Amino acid sequence: MTTGVLDIAVLIGFIFMLLALLLAFFRLVKGPTMHDRIVAMDLMASITMGFILIYSIVINKSLYVDIAIVISLISFIGTVAISSFLRLKNTKK
Amino acid sequence: MNHLIIAVLIVLGALWILIAAIGLLRFKDLYSRIHAATKATSLGLLLLIMGVAVYFGLWDVTLKSVLIIVFIYLTSPLAAHSIAKSFKDDNSKKML
Repeated sequence: MTTGVLDIAVLIGFIFMLLALLLAFFRLVKGPTMHDRIVAMDLMASITMGFILIYSIVINKSLYVDIAIVISLISFIGTVAISSFLRLKNTKK
Repeated sequence: MNHLIIAVLIVLGALWILIAAIGLLRFKDLYSRIHAATKATSLGLLLLIMGVAVYFGLWDVTLKSVLIIVFIYLTSPLAAHSIAKSFKDDNSKKML
């Protein structure tokens, strides 16, 4: 198997995604308030979508694009649910 | 030629998501962090999904890609607005 330009691009994409996941995890651990952690979780869901989209190119199966749809739906619903829960909890009294 | 376009799209999309993560880690305010993490991630995922759609070239994959892009560009500002509104209305500002 010869290494074309696409293999190098996929490798660079995986390296960038892994670095982004590490930085988002630092913010998730360190974040001062709860809202910082919600933003970090949203970004980590998007990074997971990017991982799966690059991996669908690696293994040459177009079925994996459906997983990106499901992850985007669940990420949006989870973010809105947690933030509205915090808003209702903190502005009760 | 086709592989070159896909390679450029993938590397640019991954680079934009990495820039979003750096902005999320380095900014000092919550609103700046939301600003960095929402918009750069939207553009990065747009480029990645365009790369996948160009790579497969089938009509159903292209239709799903357009649906994902429309959904992301509809819901990402809503999520950021919800987080910012919940932070603005927070009375306690408790360090959890």
